Amino acid sequence: MLPILQIGPLAIQFPGLILLIGVWLGLSLAEKFAPQRQVSPNHIYNLVFTALIAGVIGARLAYILRYPQAFIPSPLSALSLNPGLLDPLGGAAAGILASMVYGQRKKLPLWAVLDSLTPFLAVLAIAINLSNFASGAGFGAPTHVPWGIELWDAKRHPTQIYESLAAAGILLILWPGRPHLQSWAAGRYFLIFLASSSLARLFLEAFRGESILLPGGIRLAQVVAWLVLAFCLFQLQRLSR
Amino acid sequence: MLLIGVLWIWFSRAPSGGLSQSGVSTPRKGFQAPDFSLVDANGSMIRLSDLRGQPVVINLWASWCQPCRAEMPALQRVYAEYQSQGLVLLGVNATNQDDAAAARAFTEELGLTFPILYDSQGAVAKLYALRALPTTFFIDRAGVIREVVIGGPMSEALLRIRIQQLIERPFEGMP
Repeated sequence: MLPILQIGPLAIQFPGLILLIGVWLGLSLAEKFAPQRQVSPNHIYNLVFTALIAGVIGARLAYILRYPQAFIPSPLSALSLNPGLLDPLGGAAAGILASMVYGQRKKLPLWAVLDSLTPFLAVLAIAINLSNFASGAGFGAPTHVPWGIELWDAKRHPTQIYESLAAAGILLILWPGRPHLQSWAAGRYFLIFLASSSLARLFLEAFRGESILLPGGIRLAQVVAWLVLAFCLFQLQRLSR
Repeated sequence: MLLIGVLWIWFSRAPSGGLSQSGVSTPRKGFQAPDFSLVDANGSMIRLSDLRGQPVVINLWASWCQPCRAEMPALQRVYAEYQSQGLVLLGVNATNQDDAAAARAFTEELGLTFPILYDSQGAVAKLYALRALPTTFFIDRAGVIREVVIGGPMSEALLRIRIQQLIERPFEGMP
Protein backbone atom coordinates (compact mmCIF):
# COMPACT_ATOMS: atom_id res chain seq x y z
CA MET A 1 0.00 0.00 0.00
CA LEU A 2 1.40 3.39 -1.01
CA PRO A 3 -1.30 6.09 -0.87
CA ILE A 4 1.17 8.98 -0.87
CA LEU A 5 4.38 9.22 -2.89
CA GLN A 6 6.66 11.68 -1.11
CA ILE A 7 9.19 13.33 -3.44
CA GLY A 8 11.02 15.95 -1.39
CA PRO A 9 8.41 18.47 -0.22
CA LEU A 10 5.89 17.14 -2.77
CA ALA A 11 3.22 14.67 -1.57
CA ILE A 12 1.69 12.99 -4.63
CA GLN A 13 -1.51 10.93 -4.33
CA PHE A 14 -0.09 7.74 -5.84
CA PRO A 15 -3.44 6.02 -6.62
CA GLY A 16 -4.47 9.05 -8.68
CA LEU A 17 -1.12 9.06 -10.46
CA ILE A 18 -1.57 5.38 -11.42
CA LEU A 19 -5.01 6.19 -12.88
CA LEU A 20 -3.57 9.08 -14.91
CA ILE A 21 -0.81 6.83 -16.27
CA GLY A 22 -3.48 4.22 -17.06
CA VAL A 23 -5.57 6.74 -19.02
CA TRP A 24 -2.50 7.86 -20.96
CA LEU A 25 -1.23 4.35 -21.78
CA GLY A 26 -4.71 3.06 -22.59
CA LEU A 27 -5.48 5.99 -24.84
CA SER A 28 -2.15 5.61 -26.66
CA LEU A 29 -2.85 1.92 -27.27
CA ALA A 30 -6.42 2.59 -28.47
CA GLU A 31 -5.24 5.37 -30.80
CA LYS A 32 -2.55 3.10 -32.26
CA PHE A 33 -4.96 0.32 -33.21
CA ALA A 34 -8.07 2.39 -34.06
CA PRO A 35 -7.20 2.65 -37.82
CA GLN A 36 -7.51 -1.16 -38.08
CA ARG A 37 -11.22 -0.65 -37.47
CA GLN A 38 -11.51 2.33 -39.81
CA VAL A 39 -11.84 4.75 -36.90
CA SER A 40 -9.68 7.87 -36.79
CA PRO A 41 -7.34 8.05 -33.76
CA ASN A 42 -8.37 11.70 -33.42
CA HIS A 43 -11.98 10.67 -32.90
CA ILE A 44 -10.92 8.22 -30.17
CA TYR A 45 -8.86 10.90 -28.42
CA ASN A 46 -11.62 13.51 -28.67
CA LEU A 47 -14.26 11.03 -27.55
CA VAL A 48 -12.34 10.00 -24.42
CA PHE A 49 -11.38 13.59 -23.65
CA THR A 50 -14.98 14.78 -24.07
CA ALA A 51 -16.26 11.96 -21.85
CA LEU A 52 -13.67 12.72 -19.14
CA ILE A 53 -14.33 16.47 -19.08
CA ALA A 54 -18.12 15.99 -19.17
CA GLY A 55 -17.78 13.26 -16.52
CA VAL A 56 -15.96 15.52 -14.07
CA ILE A 57 -18.34 18.46 -14.63
CA GLY A 58 -21.37 16.17 -14.44
CA ALA A 59 -20.10 14.52 -11.27
CA ARG A 60 -19.65 17.88 -9.57
CA LEU A 61 -23.03 19.25 -10.74
CA ALA A 62 -24.80 16.07 -9.60
CA TYR A 63 -23.14 16.37 -6.20
CA ILE A 64 -24.22 20.03 -5.87
CA LEU A 65 -27.79 19.05 -6.81
CA ARG A 66 -27.73 16.31 -4.15
CA TYR A 67 -26.51 18.63 -1.39
CA PRO A 68 -27.44 22.18 -2.44
CA GLN A 69 -27.78 23.42 1.15
CA ALA A 70 -24.08 22.71 1.84
CA PHE A 71 -22.98 24.96 -1.02
CA ILE A 72 -25.16 27.95 -0.13
CA PRO A 73 -22.92 29.20 2.73
CA SER A 74 -19.75 28.58 0.68
CA PRO A 75 -20.55 28.73 -3.07
CA LEU A 76 -16.85 28.71 -3.99
CA SER A 77 -16.75 25.08 -2.77
CA ALA A 78 -18.36 24.23 -6.12
CA LEU A 79 -14.95 24.91 -7.70
CA SER A 80 -12.98 22.97 -5.07
CA LEU A 81 -10.44 20.45 -6.35
CA ASN A 82 -11.51 17.98 -3.69
CA PRO A 83 -12.48 14.65 -5.32
CA GLY A 84 -14.82 13.94 -2.40
CA LEU A 85 -17.29 16.40 -3.94
CA LEU A 86 -18.02 14.22 -6.97
CA ASP A 87 -21.02 11.98 -7.61
CA PRO A 88 -19.75 8.88 -9.52
CA LEU A 89 -23.14 7.95 -11.04
CA GLY A 90 -23.80 11.51 -12.19
CA GLY A 91 -20.31 11.61 -13.67
CA ALA A 92 -20.75 8.32 -15.52
CA ALA A 93 -24.13 9.43 -16.90
CA ALA A 94 -22.72 12.77 -18.09
CA GLY A 95 -19.64 11.09 -19.61
CA ILE A 96 -21.70 8.51 -21.53
CA LEU A 97 -24.19 11.14 -22.68
CA ALA A 98 -21.44 13.49 -23.89
CA SER A 99 -19.67 10.71 -25.80
CA MET A 100 -22.98 9.65 -27.37
CA VAL A 101 -23.63 13.23 -28.52
CA TYR A 102 -20.08 13.42 -29.91
CA GLY A 103 -20.49 10.09 -31.69
CA GLN A 104 -23.85 11.15 -33.19
CA ARG A 105 -22.52 14.50 -34.40
CA LYS A 106 -19.48 12.88 -36.02
CA LYS A 107 -21.62 9.99 -37.32
CA LEU A 108 -19.28 7.39 -35.79
CA PRO A 109 -20.18 3.68 -36.13
CA LEU A 110 -21.09 2.51 -32.60
CA TRP A 111 -19.66 -1.02 -32.58
CA ALA A 112 -16.43 -0.10 -34.39
CA VAL A 113 -15.87 2.72 -31.89
CA LEU A 114 -16.52 0.39 -28.95
CA ASP A 115 -14.04 -2.11 -30.44
CA SER A 116 -11.49 0.69 -30.82
CA LEU A 117 -12.03 1.79 -27.22
CA THR A 118 -11.53 -1.75 -25.87
CA PRO A 119 -7.71 -1.51 -25.42
CA PHE A 120 -8.25 1.74 -23.51
CA LEU A 121 -10.81 0.08 -21.21
CA ALA A 122 -8.57 -2.98 -20.72
CA VAL A 123 -5.58 -0.88 -19.63
CA LEU A 124 -7.85 1.28 -17.45
CA ALA A 125 -9.13 -1.87 -15.69
CA ILE A 126 -5.53 -2.81 -14.76
CA ALA A 127 -4.83 0.75 -13.60
CA ILE A 128 -7.98 0.89 -11.42
CA ASN A 129 -7.00 -2.32 -9.63
CA LEU A 130 -3.39 -1.23 -9.13
CA SER A 131 -4.69 2.12 -7.87
CA ASN A 132 -6.88 0.23 -5.38
CA PHE A 133 -3.80 -1.72 -4.29
CA ALA A 134 -1.93 1.55 -3.66
CA SER A 135 -4.80 3.10 -1.69
CA GLY A 136 -5.84 -0.08 0.14
CA ALA A 137 -9.35 0.07 -1.37
CA GLY A 138 -11.14 -3.01 -2.68
CA PHE A 139 -9.38 -5.09 -0.04
CA GLY A 140 -9.84 -8.82 0.43
CA ALA A 141 -11.52 -10.95 3.06
CA PRO A 142 -9.37 -12.34 5.89
CA THR A 143 -7.64 -15.58 4.91
CA HIS A 144 -4.97 -18.11 5.87
CA VAL A 145 -3.71 -18.76 2.32
CA PRO A 146 0.12 -18.48 2.17
CA TRP A 147 -0.04 -15.64 -0.39
CA GLY A 148 -2.29 -13.52 1.84
CA ILE A 149 -1.09 -9.96 2.52
CA GLU A 150 -1.10 -8.00 5.77
CA LEU A 151 -3.58 -5.19 5.28
CA TRP A 152 -5.93 -3.36 7.63
CA ASP A 153 -4.89 -5.36 10.67
CA ALA A 154 -5.41 -8.81 9.16
CA LYS A 155 -3.95 -11.27 6.67
CA ARG A 156 -6.18 -10.85 3.62
CA HIS A 157 -6.72 -12.12 0.09
CA PRO A 158 -4.75 -9.77 -2.24
CA THR A 159 -7.93 -9.13 -4.25
CA GLN A 160 -6.48 -6.08 -5.99
CA ILE A 161 -3.64 -8.27 -7.29
CA TYR A 162 -6.06 -11.03 -8.34
CA GLU A 163 -8.11 -8.46 -10.25
CA SER A 164 -5.02 -6.76 -11.77
CA LEU A 165 -3.74 -10.12 -12.98
CA ALA A 166 -7.14 -11.03 -14.41
CA ALA A 167 -7.35 -7.68 -16.22
CA ALA A 168 -3.76 -8.08 -17.52
CA GLY A 169 -4.56 -11.63 -18.68
CA ILE A 170 -7.65 -10.41 -20.55
CA LEU A 171 -5.61 -7.66 -22.24
CA LEU A 172 -2.91 -10.17 -23.19
CA ILE A 173 -5.38 -12.67 -24.67
CA LEU A 174 -7.25 -9.89 -26.46
CA TRP A 175 -4.10 -7.96 -27.45
CA PRO A 176 -5.27 -5.58 -30.22
CA GLY A 177 -2.33 -6.44 -32.50
CA ARG A 178 -3.42 -10.08 -32.97
CA PRO A 179 -4.14 -10.59 -36.69
CA HIS A 180 -7.21 -12.82 -36.31
CA LEU A 181 -9.07 -10.06 -34.45
CA GLN A 182 -9.26 -8.03 -37.66
CA SER A 183 -11.64 -10.53 -39.23
CA TRP A 184 -14.12 -10.40 -36.34
CA ALA A 185 -17.50 -8.76 -36.89
CA ALA A 186 -17.84 -5.25 -35.51
CA GLY A 187 -18.69 -5.39 -31.80
CA ARG A 188 -17.44 -8.93 -31.18
CA TYR A 189 -14.08 -7.75 -29.78
CA PHE A 190 -15.74 -5.33 -27.32
CA LEU A 191 -18.39 -7.85 -26.25
CA ILE A 192 -15.81 -10.59 -25.60
CA PHE A 193 -13.75 -8.15 -23.53
CA LEU A 194 -16.82 -7.06 -21.55
CA ALA A 195 -17.94 -10.67 -21.03
CA SER A 196 -14.44 -11.74 -19.84
CA SER A 197 -14.19 -8.78 -17.46
CA SER A 198 -17.66 -9.48 -16.05
CA LEU A 199 -16.81 -13.15 -15.58
CA ALA A 200 -13.60 -12.20 -13.73
CA ARG A 201 -15.51 -9.80 -11.47
CA LEU A 202 -18.27 -12.35 -10.85
CA PHE A 203 -15.65 -14.86 -9.66
CA LEU A 204 -13.23 -12.57 -7.80
CA GLU A 205 -15.81 -10.43 -5.97
CA ALA A 206 -16.30 -13.47 -3.69
CA PHE A 207 -12.85 -12.85 -2.17
CA ARG A 208 -13.47 -9.19 -1.33
CA GLY A 209 -13.72 -8.03 2.25
CA GLU A 210 -16.03 -5.13 1.42
CA SER A 211 -19.01 -5.41 -0.91
CA ILE A 212 -22.37 -3.70 -1.19
CA LEU A 213 -24.80 -6.37 -0.04
CA LEU A 214 -28.35 -7.15 -1.09
CA PRO A 215 -30.76 -8.98 1.24
CA GLY A 216 -29.49 -12.49 2.00
CA GLY A 217 -25.86 -11.41 1.79
CA ILE A 218 -25.87 -11.45 -2.03
CA ARG A 219 -23.13 -9.21 -3.42
CA LEU A 220 -24.49 -6.46 -5.70
CA ALA A 221 -21.35 -6.38 -7.89
CA GLN A 222 -21.78 -10.07 -8.71
CA VAL A 223 -25.41 -9.57 -9.72
CA VAL A 224 -24.45 -6.63 -11.98
CA ALA A 225 -21.55 -8.64 -13.45
CA TRP A 226 -23.90 -11.59 -14.12
CA LEU A 227 -26.42 -9.32 -15.90
CA VAL A 228 -23.66 -7.75 -18.04
CA LEU A 229 -22.32 -11.23 -18.85
CA ALA A 230 -25.79 -12.42 -19.86
CA PHE A 231 -26.27 -9.33 -22.09
CA CYS A 232 -22.87 -9.90 -23.76
CA LEU A 233 -23.55 -13.61 -24.40
CA PHE A 234 -26.95 -12.75 -25.88
CA GLN A 235 -25.43 -10.10 -28.16
CA LEU A 236 -22.57 -12.41 -29.19
CA GLN A 237 -25.09 -15.09 -30.14
CA ARG A 238 -26.95 -12.55 -32.29
CA LEU A 239 -23.70 -11.52 -33.99
CA SER A 240 -22.77 -15.11 -34.84
CA ARG A 241 -26.11 -15.80 -36.56
CA MET B 1 -22.00 -20.63 -17.78
CA LEU B 2 -24.82 -18.40 -16.52
CA LEU B 3 -26.15 -21.20 -14.31
CA ILE B 4 -22.69 -21.73 -12.79
CA GLY B 5 -22.60 -17.96 -12.24
CA VAL B 6 -25.88 -18.07 -10.29
CA LEU B 7 -24.59 -20.96 -8.17
CA TRP B 8 -21.33 -19.07 -7.48
CA ILE B 9 -23.24 -15.94 -6.44
CA TRP B 10 -25.26 -18.05 -4.01
CA PHE B 11 -22.24 -20.03 -2.76
CA SER B 12 -20.11 -16.92 -2.19
CA ARG B 13 -22.74 -14.78 -0.48
CA ALA B 14 -21.61 -12.91 2.64
CA PRO B 15 -22.00 -14.57 6.06
CA SER B 16 -25.13 -13.78 8.05
CA GLY B 17 -23.34 -11.05 10.04
CA GLY B 18 -22.46 -9.22 6.82
CA LEU B 19 -18.96 -7.99 6.00
CA SER B 20 -18.71 -5.46 8.83
CA GLN B 21 -15.12 -4.46 9.62
CA SER B 22 -16.15 -2.40 12.64
CA GLY B 23 -14.69 -4.91 15.11
CA VAL B 24 -11.20 -4.30 13.73
CA SER B 25 -9.38 -1.18 14.80
CA THR B 26 -7.42 0.45 11.97
CA PRO B 27 -7.34 3.94 10.38
CA ARG B 28 -9.47 3.06 7.37
CA LYS B 29 -13.03 3.85 6.27
CA GLY B 30 -15.43 1.21 7.61
CA PHE B 31 -13.18 0.15 10.51
CA GLN B 32 -13.19 1.05 14.19
CA ALA B 33 -11.19 4.23 14.89
CA PRO B 34 -8.04 3.38 16.90
CA ASP B 35 -8.35 4.63 20.47
CA PHE B 36 -5.95 7.18 21.93
CA SER B 37 -5.73 9.71 24.73
CA LEU B 38 -3.98 13.06 24.56
CA VAL B 39 -3.79 16.21 26.67
CA ASP B 40 -5.46 19.37 25.37
CA ALA B 41 -4.23 22.96 25.71
CA ASN B 42 -5.83 23.25 29.18
CA GLY B 43 -4.11 20.11 30.44
CA SER B 44 -7.27 17.97 30.36
CA MET B 45 -6.94 14.39 29.16
CA ILE B 46 -9.23 13.55 26.21
CA ARG B 47 -9.78 9.89 25.34
CA LEU B 48 -11.42 9.07 22.01
CA SER B 49 -13.37 6.07 23.35
CA ASP B 50 -14.98 8.33 25.99
CA LEU B 51 -16.63 10.24 23.13
CA ARG B 52 -18.59 7.17 21.96
CA GLY B 53 -22.15 8.24 21.20
CA GLN B 54 -21.08 11.52 19.61
CA PRO B 55 -19.97 12.19 16.04
CA VAL B 56 -16.25 13.02 16.05
CA VAL B 57 -14.00 14.71 13.50
CA ILE B 58 -10.24 14.37 13.97
CA ASN B 59 -8.10 16.82 12.02
CA LEU B 60 -4.35 16.18 12.07
CA TRP B 61 -2.43 19.36 11.34
CA ALA B 62 0.79 21.35 11.79
CA SER B 63 1.34 25.10 11.91
CA TRP B 64 3.91 25.07 9.08
CA CYS B 65 1.50 23.23 6.75
CA GLN B 66 -0.19 25.77 4.44
CA PRO B 67 -3.23 23.62 3.48
CA CYS B 68 -3.79 22.96 7.23
CA ARG B 69 -3.78 26.70 7.91
CA ALA B 70 -6.06 27.35 4.94
CA GLU B 71 -8.77 24.90 6.04
CA MET B 72 -8.72 25.81 9.75
CA PRO B 73 -11.17 28.80 9.50
CA ALA B 74 -13.72 26.55 7.74
CA LEU B 75 -13.29 23.92 10.47
CA GLN B 76 -13.93 26.59 13.12
CA ARG B 77 -17.05 27.91 11.33
CA VAL B 78 -18.51 24.44 10.90
CA TYR B 79 -17.69 23.47 14.49
CA ALA B 80 -19.45 26.59 15.78
CA GLU B 81 -22.50 25.64 13.71
CA TYR B 82 -22.72 21.94 14.64
CA GLN B 83 -21.36 21.93 18.21
CA SER B 84 -24.90 22.25 19.59
CA GLN B 85 -25.84 19.05 17.70
CA GLY B 86 -23.22 17.06 19.57
CA LEU B 87 -20.32 17.36 17.13
CA VAL B 88 -16.85 16.90 18.66
CA LEU B 89 -13.97 18.30 16.64
CA LEU B 90 -10.45 17.41 17.77
CA GLY B 91 -7.57 19.30 16.21
CA VAL B 92 -4.58 17.01 16.74
CA ASN B 93 -1.37 18.95 16.27
CA ALA B 94 1.46 16.78 14.94
CA THR B 95 3.71 18.33 17.60
CA ASN B 96 6.54 15.86 17.01
CA GLN B 97 7.04 17.53 13.63
CA ASP B 98 5.95 21.04 14.63
CA ASP B 99 6.90 23.80 17.04
CA ALA B 100 4.48 23.73 19.98
CA ALA B 101 4.79 27.49 20.56
CA ALA B 102 4.06 28.23 16.88
CA ALA B 103 1.08 25.88 17.02
CA ARG B 104 -0.34 27.63 20.12
CA ALA B 105 0.20 31.06 18.56
CA PHE B 106 -1.65 29.95 15.44
CA THR B 107 -4.66 28.59 17.34
CA GLU B 108 -4.85 31.84 19.37
CA GLU B 109 -4.52 33.97 16.24
CA LEU B 110 -7.51 32.18 14.69
CA GLY B 111 -9.46 32.05 17.95
CA LEU B 112 -10.14 28.32 17.62
CA THR B 113 -12.67 27.12 20.18
CA PHE B 114 -12.50 23.37 19.56
CA PRO B 115 -10.04 21.24 21.58
CA ILE B 116 -6.49 21.23 20.27
CA LEU B 117 -4.52 18.16 21.33
CA TYR B 118 -0.74 17.99 21.22
CA ASP B 119 0.71 14.76 19.84
CA SER B 120 4.22 15.43 21.14
CA GLN B 121 5.43 11.81 20.80
CA GLY B 122 3.81 11.23 17.41
CA ALA B 123 1.77 8.35 18.87
CA VAL B 124 -1.51 9.37 17.17
CA ALA B 125 0.31 10.10 13.89
CA LYS B 126 1.70 6.54 14.03
CA LEU B 127 -1.59 4.98 15.13
CA TYR B 128 -3.46 6.73 12.30
CA ALA B 129 -0.69 5.98 9.74
CA LEU B 130 -0.31 9.70 8.99
CA ARG B 131 1.28 10.14 5.56
CA ALA B 132 0.30 13.69 4.63
CA LEU B 133 -0.89 16.81 6.41
CA PRO B 134 -3.66 17.66 6.86
CA THR B 135 -5.55 14.39 7.23
CA THR B 136 -9.12 14.34 8.54
CA PHE B 137 -11.10 11.40 9.92
CA PHE B 138 -14.90 11.46 10.20
CA ILE B 139 -16.04 9.06 12.93
CA ASP B 140 -19.64 8.11 13.67
CA ARG B 141 -21.32 7.70 17.07
CA ALA B 142 -20.33 4.00 17.19
CA GLY B 143 -16.66 4.91 16.73
CA VAL B 144 -16.50 3.68 13.11
CA ILE B 145 -14.52 5.73 10.59
CA ARG B 146 -16.91 6.84 7.83
CA GLU B 147 -14.55 8.95 5.73
CA VAL B 148 -10.86 9.80 5.52
CA VAL B 149 -9.76 12.93 3.67
CA ILE B 150 -6.03 12.99 2.97
CA GLY B 151 -4.65 16.42 2.06
CA GLY B 152 -6.32 19.76 1.89
CA PRO B 153 -7.56 22.35 2.14
CA MET B 154 -10.98 20.74 2.43
CA SER B 155 -13.85 22.75 1.07
CA GLU B 156 -16.43 23.97 3.57
CA ALA B 157 -19.20 22.21 1.64
CA LEU B 158 -17.45 18.85 1.97
CA LEU B 159 -17.08 19.39 5.70
CA ARG B 160 -20.74 20.28 6.11
CA ILE B 161 -21.94 17.29 4.09
CA ARG B 162 -19.75 14.77 5.90
CA ILE B 163 -20.66 16.17 9.34
CA GLN B 164 -24.36 16.25 8.50
CA GLN B 165 -24.10 12.60 7.41
CA LEU B 166 -22.42 11.70 10.72
CA ILE B 167 -25.09 13.49 12.72
CA GLU B 168 -27.96 11.90 10.79
CA ARG B 169 -26.49 8.40 10.96
CA PRO B 170 -28.44 6.28 13.48
CA PHE B 171 -26.45 5.14 16.48
CA GLU B 172 -26.50 1.37 16.59
CA GLY B 173 -24.53 1.15 19.85
CA MET B 174 -21.35 -0.78 20.33
CA PRO B 175 -20.36 -3.10 17.47
